[in-house]
Amino acid sequence: MTVAIQDLDFEALAAKQQVVQKGVPVKFIFAIFISAIWLVPFYYLIISVFKTTEEYSVNHPLSLPSGITPVFGNAVVAWQQAKMGAGLLNSMLYGVVGAGLAVFFAALASYGLSRIDFRRKNFWFMLIFAGTVFPFQMYLIPLFFGYQKLGILNSQLGMLLIYTAICIPFPVLVLRNYMNGLSREMDEAARMDGAKEFSVFWHIILPNCRGPMTATFLLQFTWIWNDLLFSTVLGNRTEVRSIMNALQVFQGSYSSTGPNVVLTATIIASVPSVLLFFLLRRHFMEGMRVSSI
Amino acid sequence: MSTVSLKELVKVYGREIAVRGIDLEIPDKALTVFVGPSGCGKSTTLRMIAGLESISHGELRLDGRLINDVPSRDRGVAMVFQSYALYPHMTVRQNLEFSLKLAKLPAEEIELRVARAIGVLELGPYLDRKPSQLSGGQRQRVAMGRAICREPQVFLFDEPLSNLDAKLRNQMRVEIKRLQRRLQVTTIYVTHDQIEAMTLADIIVVMRDGIIEQTGSPLDVFENPENRFVAGFIGSPQMNFFDGVVGLSEGRAYFENRHLRLPIMSTRFGDVVTGGERVVAGFRPEDIVPEGHGVDPSHGIELISKVDFAEMLGNETLLFSSVGDTEFISRMQQPRLVEPDETLAFRFNVERMHLFDAETGRSMRTAANKPTEGGIHGFEGKPNGSGDYRVASDRGDERPRGGNSTLPR
Repeated sequence: MTVAIQDLDFEALAAKQQVVQKGVPVKFIFAIFISAIWLVPFYYLIISVFKTTEEYSVNHPLSLPSGITPVFGNAVVAWQQAKMGAGLLNSMLYGVVGAGLAVFFAALASYGLSRIDFRRKNFWFMLIFAGTVFPFQMYLIPLFFGYQKLGILNSQLGMLLIYTAICIPFPVLVLRNYMNGLSREMDEAARMDGAKEFSVFWHIILPNCRGPMTATFLLQFTWIWNDLLFSTVLGNRTEVRSIMNALQVFQGSYSSTGPNVVLTATIIASVPSVLLFFLLRRHFMEGMRVSSI
Repeated sequence: MSTVSLKELVKVYGREIAVRGIDLEIPDKALTVFVGPSGCGKSTTLRMIAGLESISHGELRLDGRLINDVPSRDRGVAMVFQSYALYPHMTVRQNLEFSLKLAKLPAEEIELRVARAIGVLELGPYLDRKPSQLSGGQRQRVAMGRAICREPQVFLFDEPLSNLDAKLRNQMRVEIKRLQRRLQVTTIYVTHDQIEAMTLADIIVVMRDGIIEQTGSPLDVFENPENRFVAGFIGSPQMNFFDGVVGLSEGRAYFENRHLRLPIMSTRFGDVVTGGERVVAGFRPEDIVPEGHGVDPSHGIELISKVDFAEMLGNETLLFSSVGDTEFISRMQQPRLVEPDETLAFRFNVERMHLFDAETGRSMRTAANKPTEGGIHGFEGKPNGSGDYRVASDRGDERPRGGNSTLPR
């Protein structure tokens, strides 16, 4: 029997549908409320950078700014006081080189763990992975004295070393799983095609791990960029300190700047990592997709 | 000239034995197919030849050169994998060039070889595509192209068609055969599909449990299976088997059980049957002919039986029936509509009966009666009433051919 479509009561069907969707307004209001909790600090951040220190102290903190020009003055003050130029360059060095090296070493380790047969493979994996289990504070005192002895305290090399080392375990976890999912026949084909071990890694495995490598690179880069702990303890000299460490000049009893300048500085400090995310977002989203061709 | 020689090849994984001793000579330019159920060791054997698995024991020679410990890249073999194993980040052209660039061949030589592979496999339009942009059949062709580019001495195929749909599989099968004929390269092909094996092979190697059960031309293996396993594995639907004993009566030998009494042709079995031994009779579905629907055998024994079920395939119909508890399949070659429970007369073509020792599963066909060149084994001598159903005592003393030349299981 065919249904006579034109005879259907569309009103009734729509009403039925409505019943199913009942309760939506309540959910919607709740969602707006939750979003507001998230958005108010952002709103506060954005409007504050457009205020002068006087404007900030006289008016309500959440009131709209009178113009947009004060942001330039704030930026200049922040840049000069915190020596942000040097801080940004240092952080860029630590972030790009530290995270880059860490991901590359992690890829090497993962290749070994997923492709080469050797005894106690799991033990070695757990040993590397143990690096992420303990709280980082634990390493601080031994590192401090060790660095002091080696003479790499307050040096860029020292900072790069710790950042590279500490960023290896997590990418190993991700990349090992990812490489395990890559077709083994692909390496076998490469081997038969004449590739030696490193060639298989370099020409075949690495290019196919671009997604997860980018994703883990971004995560590790952001972690290094935002790190304050190691930077404060191991690299406090002005020439060596990272951007997050540099922002600390606005803190404490000697600081004379208003919150408008501090907030401007934090926005400037977060621009590079946000930009990097935008640049690499396609790879980041593809990061976890396993290819099996 | 590229012959491959396997001598007592064994592969063990810990305490598991995957290959139990393979002796095989693979002739130059032939397409040899390893076929067998999963876990029979065919892929492991191929991977040992490829150099992807170490050899636990035995010798592997290519053109007489011992290559047990030669890395696969230096063996002069190229392989097409089941999953194609193309490099996903490279275009078709880069996939083809990869091995040649690693070998540091001059650019003109690379260009020439790639062009040749492209020509043979018609890959021209896809050169700049990535594997993910190709269909299954096209990927398969690129995988073959990659092997061709290397100009190997031996091609290895590891179940290359099993990821394709049925239609494409038939098409690619023909293409592989044509390609092999054209390139004249020694080829070893592994499959679990006996139809693929029958259609492609110059030589079939039937394997089970890590040993070779039989080696021969497709027709030879089909017509003269050396044991019950090969008889059941090669041919689709598989051979029907009936348990029984050899009975003697008035100097003639019969296969007998509670429901069947079939004369044993002396021309087919010589004097190997003595009477009383437990045997298994084998008939291919086309040798149990529903009356009037196929070529009626000149020496047919009739059995009236009810059809349980009929599978209509268009050009033929498979009839499922039974004798006692034993089910059998008969092939109706000029089909008509068969109603369930219809009773039909089936004629068992005793000229094409197979007999296997119930204990060992070995075929009881005498070596003397085996055709030498894959021809259909027919009735020898003029039928003379029923006088040819006899136990011939004067046909020489050949014994059934036994087993294979492998290590004991």
